[in-house]
Amino acid sequence: MRIVIGEGSCGIAAGAGKVHTKLSSYLVNSDIEIGIAGCIGMCFLEPIVDIYDGKKLLKRLVKVKEEDTENIAVSLRNNDFEALKKYEISTEDSVFLEKQTRIALRRCGLIDPESIDAYTSDGGYSALKKALTSMSPEEVIEEIKISGLAGRGGAGFPTWFKWNAARNSEGTEKYLICNADEGDPGAFMDRAVIESDPHALIEGMLIGAYAIGAKNAFVYVRAEYPLAIIRLQKAINEAMEKGFLGNNILGTSFSCFLKIKAGAGAFVCGEETALIESLEGKRGMPRLKPPFPAEKGYENKPSNINNVETFANVAWIIENGGKAFSSMGTENSKGTKVFALTGKIKRGGLVEIPMGLTLREVIYDIGGGIRDDKEFKAVQLGGPSGGCIPKELLDTVIDYKALNATGAIMGSGGMVVMDEGTCMVNMARFFLDFTTKESCGKCVHCRIGTKRMFEILTRITEGNGKDGDIELLEELCDGIRSGALCGLGQTAPNPVLTTIKYFRHEYEAHINEKKCPAGECAALRTYHINEEKCKGCTLCAKKCPVNAISGKVKEAHIIDITKCIKCGQCKEVCRFDAVEIK
Amino acid sequence: MSDIIKLIIDGKEITASSGDSILIAAEKNGIEIPNLCYLKEMSPYGACGMCVVEAEGSPKLLRACSAKAADGMVINTQGDRALKARKIALELLMGDHQGDCIGPCSLNCPAHTDCQKYVAEIANGDMEEAVRTIKEVISLPASIGRVCPHPCETACRRQHVEEPISIAYLKAFAADEVLKNGKHILPETAKETGKSVGIIGGGPAGLSAAFKLIQKGHKVTIYDKMPKMGGMLRYGIPEYRLPKAVLDTEIEEIRSLGVEMINGCTLGKDITLSDIRNKHDAVLVANGAWKSSSIRCPGENLSGVFGGIDFLRAASLGEKPEIGQKTAIVGGGNTAMDACRTAVRLGAEEVSIIYRRTRDEMPAEDIEIEEAMEEGVIFRFLTNPAEIIGENGKVKAAKLQVMKLGEPDEKGRRSPVPVEGEFITLELDSIIIAAGQKNDPAGFEELETTKRGTILADERTFTTSIPGVFAAGDTTNDGASIAIKAIAEANEAAKFIDAYLDGIEIPYKKPVLSERSITDDMFTEYEKHPRIKMPQRAPEDRRNDFTEINLGFNKKEAIEEAKRCLSCGCHDYGHCKLIKYADEYCTDCKRLAGEYHKGFKEEKLEVIFRDQHKCILCGLCVRTCEEIARQGILGLVGRGFDTVIKPEFRNIDIRSICANCKKCAEVCPTGALKIIK
Repeated sequence: MRIVIGEGSCGIAAGAGKVHTKLSSYLVNSDIEIGIAGCIGMCFLEPIVDIYDGKKLLKRLVKVKEEDTENIAVSLRNNDFEALKKYEISTEDSVFLEKQTRIALRRCGLIDPESIDAYTSDGGYSALKKALTSMSPEEVIEEIKISGLAGRGGAGFPTWFKWNAARNSEGTEKYLICNADEGDPGAFMDRAVIESDPHALIEGMLIGAYAIGAKNAFVYVRAEYPLAIIRLQKAINEAMEKGFLGNNILGTSFSCFLKIKAGAGAFVCGEETALIESLEGKRGMPRLKPPFPAEKGYENKPSNINNVETFANVAWIIENGGKAFSSMGTENSKGTKVFALTGKIKRGGLVEIPMGLTLREVIYDIGGGIRDDKEFKAVQLGGPSGGCIPKELLDTVIDYKALNATGAIMGSGGMVVMDEGTCMVNMARFFLDFTTKESCGKCVHCRIGTKRMFEILTRITEGNGKDGDIELLEELCDGIRSGALCGLGQTAPNPVLTTIKYFRHEYEAHINEKKCPAGECAALRTYHINEEKCKGCTLCAKKCPVNAISGKVKEAHIIDITKCIKCGQCKEVCRFDAVEIK
Repeated sequence: MSDIIKLIIDGKEITASSGDSILIAAEKNGIEIPNLCYLKEMSPYGACGMCVVEAEGSPKLLRACSAKAADGMVINTQGDRALKARKIALELLMGDHQGDCIGPCSLNCPAHTDCQKYVAEIANGDMEEAVRTIKEVISLPASIGRVCPHPCETACRRQHVEEPISIAYLKAFAADEVLKNGKHILPETAKETGKSVGIIGGGPAGLSAAFKLIQKGHKVTIYDKMPKMGGMLRYGIPEYRLPKAVLDTEIEEIRSLGVEMINGCTLGKDITLSDIRNKHDAVLVANGAWKSSSIRCPGENLSGVFGGIDFLRAASLGEKPEIGQKTAIVGGGNTAMDACRTAVRLGAEEVSIIYRRTRDEMPAEDIEIEEAMEEGVIFRFLTNPAEIIGENGKVKAAKLQVMKLGEPDEKGRRSPVPVEGEFITLELDSIIIAAGQKNDPAGFEELETTKRGTILADERTFTTSIPGVFAAGDTTNDGASIAIKAIAEANEAAKFIDAYLDGIEIPYKKPVLSERSITDDMFTEYEKHPRIKMPQRAPEDRRNDFTEINLGFNKKEAIEEAKRCLSCGCHDYGHCKLIKYADEYCTDCKRLAGEYHKGFKEEKLEVIFRDQHKCILCGLCVRTCEEIARQGILGLVGRGFDTVIKPEFRNIDIRSICANCKKCAEVCPTGALKIIK
């Protein structure tokens, strides 16, 4: 018997490391092996402990706490699986994984990410071998073309096209770069892949390097992912030792070296030309395109940049054929896509599904619907570059074209679910705050334009919105979209545009009636005491820091809204739910 | 050899070399595409977004600096989308641009005298050049420098450090200094046009217009009813403030240019408006406002009641009006101050000011109030004449209603209200009503007037209801104001008269300007140097005669005072590409204003002054430093809205690494970098 603890960053944050230590100490001198795996993507159930018999998963224990470990250890020693039942994943929660189709995440959470043997014994590097020994670079590109794989970082550009362009670019010195500068708030699939299955990335990159003719490759990974960097470096070292990296890989004439470059955390470095600048040791600022990187990239040499998830699909495609991949999905969008499902969702985590599922299926069937059974309001796709999709469009299928038509984008796969308590103006403001700070400052539209949009959104949420603000926002959106230099700026208006498109009434309520329909904007909240519910216990009046509440004992109290500072303490202390926000 | 390609830009078929950017292709063919971050010598950068153009078949705007021109391309540099994109780029830049194109002194001067320039010239000791600068606008600098209530100083930014610059007195000093040396700075006059202009009124407005029009080659005749030219400067301003000898000299300078001056010629009596109109090709009515306003108080017709300006005129004509031993002046403006101090000098023993509000509300200048107090004038605040009591038809006393300040109105102003039933009686021999002045419509009946009886003149072109007749100064629209306002109007009117005589029209567009919004913490770095006090005669001495009370600066003092100027106006105005484009594309450059970028405190360089608030982050200095100067000192630092340009990646003193080559300042498209040495 073997137990495996999920130790991605998320699992560790939930306490997996401590669970591991405790279990090890309780299982000393037993024949039970203890190992680690990466992240299986069920964030809501961490820490997770899997019990295997050989390769067969016997039990999956979830939300394991440190104090549970002794019990678990005893039960394991006694083979008393009955006693483990209470820790076991529910059938309802099991649906989360069962409904998924995993390619990029196929080994995540299942194998030991720190062992190359675990990877090779699961069929790893066989695709590389196949490509190097039985396919020409052109055939590899052709296979990728058949698969229909498109860039998973956000833009959705056909991967084969970029590879082909780089391959056909003049010059012998070419570079392959992996963009692991995952910066969208709420997206973490790239981290999960690197932490959980680093060799899948390496293998995908090697196939890509072979296809375009690059001898050197980089993984540009954000420094905020220390565990990913450690595991990737370890994987690189082991791959070198085993001859999967370096000179004459697998005895062929193909040589390739791979280096990690840690980025200092600028969001704009996710933009490919800014990433290249950063890689060259310069300030991360986008370059003018053309020339495109395929022509003049790193050190002005032909370069190809793909995202982690894109590379994670490559080995599978070579192994199973492009057709197998393209058989999944829709006419425009092939294969699967990983989403980081977060927000007001019951079951949040990493979800890989075939293209073509509807948003409703992902949110309700896999994610289990809205937390606390509240009303669904909107789902935000694509982070700061993306947009909000309202309830009415929940049946939109996941497909590049269909999502673009809503005003949102597929993006890198952030999927933030919002309920009735989320103010859409404030949500747009949150993203603009992000872009304002993350703009590289180079071009006028992005540097100043997003700041102005942020200021307008701020004044709206603070009750100082003016007539004409919506139109001014729309005008700025239009100007920034067409004027900004790079994708960061050009897409920055999306959160504003989509919320105005679908939730214009919320903007109007803030501006005209000075009300926040969702009740989220503190400055626009007014607190009232429901006379029927109030028992006159005086607790709220005692708690109020500004003496805004008055009333006699055992009689309904009143809040003087001219004094009220909207701190919400009255609502917090009321035991009768009598304090209401209007 | 590169291939020759053909393309169409703005409908014009042009040729270019393959590999040329659209911008270069356009430039080679004389088509200018606006840009702020582009420099031919360097690779394109793409930050400003100004060079965007429309290309047929392209849904996106192209950046002309980087997009390559291609054979068969059809480019439109003036399409709506491109213009809109440039406008928004400029509005965003201007909304984050903290700088004064023109100094607030000059902006606040009704005549927009270039104060910063002549103050700098005085600081350099070049008085003649200073007078030349002043005379671009003011033909009577020694006189106006003495009497102007100087709106320039009101706006002066130096007051945020301690006190404003003594701009007015500096003007007088420079003019005096030049005259003292027997120099007369006079403008060139153009070849005679054969046209003539008749000007009615020889006050500041009439003289200024004459000065301007004679320079244009027109014949000018001034008709004035008084014995001498100068108008209110002569007959309204007492000698102790403006010695008439000074005024005479300056009027003579104007006469010497060929201006014909006819005195003692009253309109309606000696000559009519149509006579003058028939004699000349154009007429300017600038007869001023010479009637004292009434306060509608019983007893106003008694003997011993004088109008403020009537009294001053009489005094200046040497008529010694009979005011007796005890007199009071009603009013709180500068005329009231002039009147009370003149009364003191005429020998009255008790001179009072009757004013219905308090000192804080007095419109007169502080210095005038102080000087009057020093000279013994009694200020009776919060009193208002209810009745002038007479005996045998002559003033005996005034019954004064006691007032108090009411509740503040919406604007925070507290108007005076009577304290019910409270009166005081002031024994008097005479009373002078200095409560405003009006124009005299006699002789101008043909001209359309405003409700208040002033001559209606177009506020921009100064035309009246009769073609060819223009009007400016106190006699028009809102009525009496300060001399420099009349001069401003006269200068403008002269421009339009000149255009009228040439048969052309001057189109008008208000220029777009950048103005700083000020906070006190912007001025903490300046060392305090209070303004130099104008030396004066002692009150007990000066109150006895009409000799000028100010003794004037000496040269050293003037230079020292002038050096206090903060030089707010931008050195680059006139060259600045940003404001040039803003003027072309924007109507309201603050439309998209908001918070300003912060900037950082930096070490001052030896040869270059950097004003980060004017920086538009075009990166030209950064790239010049790296690509042309081969220094590579600068970089964009920080992220987002508050990104700044500073020494990159190192935390060392910029002074020790800058090669002082100044190349960066030469390429700066705005006034953010200034060569100081």
